[in-house]
Amino acid sequence: MTTKIIELGPHQLALEEPMYFRVQLDGDRVADLDVLPGQVHRGMEHLVMRRNFYQNITLLERLCSLCSNSHPSTFCAAVEEVAGIAIPERAEYLRAVADEIKRIASHLFCCAVQANVIGETALFRRVMEVREIMQRAKEAIYGNRMDLAANVIGGVRYDLSAEGAAFLARQMEAMKQPLDELYLQYGNNPALLVRMAGVGVLPREAALEYAVVGPVARGCGIDYDVRKKSPYCAYDRLEFEVAVQEAGDVRARNLVRLAEARQSVSLIEQCLKGLPRGPVCADTLPEIPAGEAIAKSEAPRGELMYYLRTDGSDMPVRLKWRVPSYMNWDALKVMLKGEPVANIPLIVNSIDPCIACTDR
Amino acid sequence: MHIQAEGTAIKPVRLFRINTGSCNGCDVELAVTSAVTEFDVEQLNCRYTESAHEADIVLVTGPLTVRAREEVLRLYAETPREKVTVAVGVCPVSGGVFRGSYAVDGPLERYLPVDVNIPGCPPRPQALLAGIREALEIRHARHEGGEPKRAPGDRKQSDTDNFPARGRLSFDAGACVDCRMCRHVCAAGAIRFEEGENGVRLTLWHNSCVFCGLCSYYCPTGALSVTGDWRLDHPAAHTFRQVERGEVPYAPCAGCGEPIIPAAPQLLHDAFRRPNPDIERLKSLCPACRQQMSIGVPRR
Repeated sequence: MTTKIIELGPHQLALEEPMYFRVQLDGDRVADLDVLPGQVHRGMEHLVMRRNFYQNITLLERLCSLCSNSHPSTFCAAVEEVAGIAIPERAEYLRAVADEIKRIASHLFCCAVQANVIGETALFRRVMEVREIMQRAKEAIYGNRMDLAANVIGGVRYDLSAEGAAFLARQMEAMKQPLDELYLQYGNNPALLVRMAGVGVLPREAALEYAVVGPVARGCGIDYDVRKKSPYCAYDRLEFEVAVQEAGDVRARNLVRLAEARQSVSLIEQCLKGLPRGPVCADTLPEIPAGEAIAKSEAPRGELMYYLRTDGSDMPVRLKWRVPSYMNWDALKVMLKGEPVANIPLIVNSIDPCIACTDR
Repeated sequence: MHIQAEGTAIKPVRLFRINTGSCNGCDVELAVTSAVTEFDVEQLNCRYTESAHEADIVLVTGPLTVRAREEVLRLYAETPREKVTVAVGVCPVSGGVFRGSYAVDGPLERYLPVDVNIPGCPPRPQALLAGIREALEIRHARHEGGEPKRAPGDRKQSDTDNFPARGRLSFDAGACVDCRMCRHVCAAGAIRFEEGENGVRLTLWHNSCVFCGLCSYYCPTGALSVTGDWRLDHPAAHTFRQVERGEVPYAPCAGCGEPIIPAAPQLLHDAFRRPNPDIERLKSLCPACRQQMSIGVPRR
């Protein structure tokens, strides 16, 4: 058996972002791998301490565009905790709506890319077309297809008129049938099964050891979802079940994502139905005292944590993150071990790695 | 020439993408232009390639991080000499919200020549297609010689486009009260105020602006507003012409003649609903004269 070391980059892995791996091979099987991170390091920790709280809302939204709403909403939650601001109930629902819209689009993008990786081009295009329904909804309601600019300190800066809510409800109706169909496809289509079932397996014990989160954890039978474990926004008033699969393979992770996307549709519908009346923002220009806070949320890729420390000035003195992909991509070692080289792109994409979040 | 005319299939133009450390917004939208029929680059006879040496048009995203630079320049050096380079999103042009970080080494132009900018954060697919079309025109002009030609009416946005996208910011100097809240909240540093001889000038750079609209949200008088005009692609030579400007003129204080920025009517309306003549008079006074008028003596 020959041992060889190869380097793989975004163009070989079909990744949207520059992430590099050094893979050690035994024959054509993966023996070990190193992640070579840092290409997307933009010095966020440095930048956030040089921007005031308002600027940071926009800056953090661009920490990563796939989970773009989770960052400002979690940051605002931390600021509000420090300042003792209770956001209006309507804003809690509207934040949940924005989060769920992003979740559907993010999950579908991940599933689409994987279809592309295994050469299922028609399915790739189909999933992207379904995702367009969400993209249109985002643009119509928020004005941008990626960065929604929905959050401000104290609430949200958008409102849903009766007309807007009706439009969103129609878009949600249009999502149901395609999402159900995709769930069946990713679950049972023989062409997908042969590539995804039993591939890139992460055993439950390894998942616990590596402390993976999000769909990667839930695909290994770990019933962990921040929206249930420590509810924020309006999630304690919304009904949903944590999507869990047991197999821990690529297929299981995708089924978790598609089940969650379908659930998000229901969550948005519940929000639209139960949307309380009232203001959408507590106070436009609140004072932020000295203090510290931790806020967390369930981003599309898993648990996202923010630690914020303030000193009474208008800039944070410290802001730290723990992003979901950090733990998840470490577990790639386990998932890839013994897999043929040809499976690397698929398995890497199956954890939906967010390099922008992790490199910062 | 004849051989080309006789060919049955036109060779597609190859697009090659380089991510220099972006937040992935532009990249995801570029993926849309390879997957979604409505926005497919194939309608422009273009196709994406994963090989640098095939590139006819290079699409660059991200603010060019220090860490990615070497790899980016290596890839760029592999592309053919005859190519058109497009900066996608504001990051490669100005750094966008990441400007001023130790880890960011842009603007891209420091290292390689850029031909077209597509402002936006991220630009919508329609804007990407418009920018790619502009790159195609430049490419065509280079092959044929002469200036790139633009079809008449091309700048016009299509009527079927009924989504109210956040686009270019517009400034109404008549409503501005020089509070500078817009500059305070702007993460990208796109807004500058300068005190001139006749008034205060605002300049907003479209190549820095990320269209988040926070300036407009916090503007007390609605002097800054988000327009739906997303069509901002331009030749890179025009980078610094892409601005929104306005001057808020000084007026002499009705009491002492000192030049002041008078309160805008919108601000008085917000504060007093229906201003009476006394309030109208206050608006043309400087702070010292206002105190004089309301409490009799200037406050020490």
